Amino acid sequence: MTEPAIRIEHLRKRYGHGETAVDALKDVNMRVEPGEVVGLIGPSGSGKSTLLKCLGAVIEPSGGRMTLGGRVIYDGDQGGWRIDDLRALRRDSIGFIFQAPYLIPFLDTTDNVALLPMLAGRPNREARARALELLGALDVAHRARAQPSELSGGEQQRVSIARALANNPPVILADEPTAPLDSERALAVVRILEQMAQRQRTAIIVVTHDEKIIPTFKRLYQIRDGRTVEEQQAVAA
Amino acid sequence: MISLAGRDILHGWGKFVLTALGLGLLIGVTLTMAGVYRGMVDDAKRLLDASGADLWVVQQDTQGPYAESSSLRDDVVHAVQGLAGVARASNVTYLTMQVRGARGDVRAMVVGFEADRAAMPGAPPFLVAGRQITRSHYEAVADLRTGFALGERIRVRRHEYTVVGLTQRMVSSGGDPMVFIPLADAQEAQFLKDNDAIRNERARTTANPTLNRPGVPGLLEAVLAAQSANRNVNAVLVRAASGADAEALAATIRRWKHHEAFTRAQMEQILVAKLIATSARQIGMFLVILAVVSAAIVAFIIYTMTLSKLREIAVLKLIGTRNRTIAAMILQQALGLGLIGFAVGKVAATVWAPGFPKYVLLEPGDAWRGLAAVLVICALASTLAIRVALKVDPAAAIGG
Repeated sequence: MTEPAIRIEHLRKRYGHGETAVDALKDVNMRVEPGEVVGLIGPSGSGKSTLLKCLGAVIEPSGGRMTLGGRVIYDGDQGGWRIDDLRALRRDSIGFIFQAPYLIPFLDTTDNVALLPMLAGRPNREARARALELLGALDVAHRARAQPSELSGGEQQRVSIARALANNPPVILADEPTAPLDSERALAVVRILEQMAQRQRTAIIVVTHDEKIIPTFKRLYQIRDGRTVEEQQAVAA
Repeated sequence: MISLAGRDILHGWGKFVLTALGLGLLIGVTLTMAGVYRGMVDDAKRLLDASGADLWVVQQDTQGPYAESSSLRDDVVHAVQGLAGVARASNVTYLTMQVRGARGDVRAMVVGFEADRAAMPGAPPFLVAGRQITRSHYEAVADLRTGFALGERIRVRRHEYTVVGLTQRMVSSGGDPMVFIPLADAQEAQFLKDNDAIRNERARTTANPTLNRPGVPGLLEAVLAAQSANRNVNAVLVRAASGADAEALAATIRRWKHHEAFTRAQMEQILVAKLIATSARQIGMFLVILAVVSAAIVAFIIYTMTLSKLREIAVLKLIGTRNRTIAAMILQQALGLGLIGFAVGKVAATVWAPGFPKYVLLEPGDAWRGLAAVLVICALASTLAIRVALKVDPAAAIGG
């Protein structure tokens, strides 16, 4: 059996101390295989964003264990983070897709995507070649020199997906990526994520409220009151 | 790695360039202020150079003739001339006044020099047009800045003079252009009373029984002649003989002739350290204020530019951009603003400096020092924005 891309065990996160402390995550357990896209749903304030931030190594959990591709990145019993350079972990191993595309407005489409490989130390030419390859795969190669402000909403979101994939990370965290899109475009984005997940063997967690796309996930995690519940769905082929 | 700062500047170049233009004009004013000070110092040195003297003999206990008023009898020059080590000595008067030309009054320093003796200290050292004064009266040589033309008739007090020569960069320590006239005319102009005052003075003297004694013929006429004549000058300019020690000569004059004597170095010290010291402090204050204002503007602009990019900075940090890359982006933008501003300021100062009524000397050394100061100020001003950027939490890029 292969090692899961993401394994989360009994993850906890507490904000504050004493009487004012809030337990945002009480007992989160997840497992996502390479090439799999899973949904993460739950009402507002249920802890979805907190979980993404913990997984994205931007806030430290209060307990539990997280493993990415077999590598333990956090272990509450071992004193916390097991990685020295969280910035490098985010850059090399985790891709982010946001609710709004949040492209860097002063970089053109290609450089928005090429920035990540460049930050990882790859030569500019190589980084741009990788960016063009991804933009081609996402059908936005024709807008390679366009500024973000010149792109439509759907194009911007595809560019942000290309950016998330630029360093070929084993994990992508998508925070409501279809929220600003209509049904057709939202479903198109999910299809793209599934294709890219399978092509690059990337595990993708999609946090969503979007009723249109929830039925497309084979596996769903529902988070309620800081705890996860796994659901299997029958998805039409 | 691409230049994030450069791309950001290009993205919003209009705003950036306009800001740099405004900052540049401020820097231009700063450079000009420094140039005004340098011009004052240069004017003072030119004044001393133009006099052609190694020593200035002035009234005892004064720092004349430029910093304080000084009055000497005009026969002191003969005693000085007789000293060993003196090559030439000549009388000179200085009087700053309004000189009337064809196009109105011009404020000028009227210099009286011994025009009838060739190559004496105090004479205009060179001409750019016309000739030197050759007549004993009513001819003048004027600096170009007076605006007077060759052949123009100008009025100094009650007398008219013909401009026969033009010289250049001959100004007082206050920046007023010089007008050279014969010594006797200058002495008269300096102490000349109006006709009514002369008549009143004569009447008073005539009515004074002490000065108008019936038994002493010629006394009244002698007193009247003395009252209407001026035998005073402001200084004696001395050119030391080759190999003579000016300092030793000055010491001799102080001890035996009971006059004050200054060497070139001492006179320069008086002009630069005393006469224009207040102006220098004034300009220094302006420079400090302008530096603070420039720093505040750069800090404000870079700070607001950074505030408008907080979301992008959060995203950059989330995707793995180093803090030092983000700090470098902000620092480079601040330095870019300073560099463009400095270039604009330098060009602006160079363009408008000749239009100033007083000489503005833009020294390359000041420009380099100014550039260094601008870069330091910009770097310091960017620290506030860098602090804000480094505090941005990458988690802010993730909603919820």
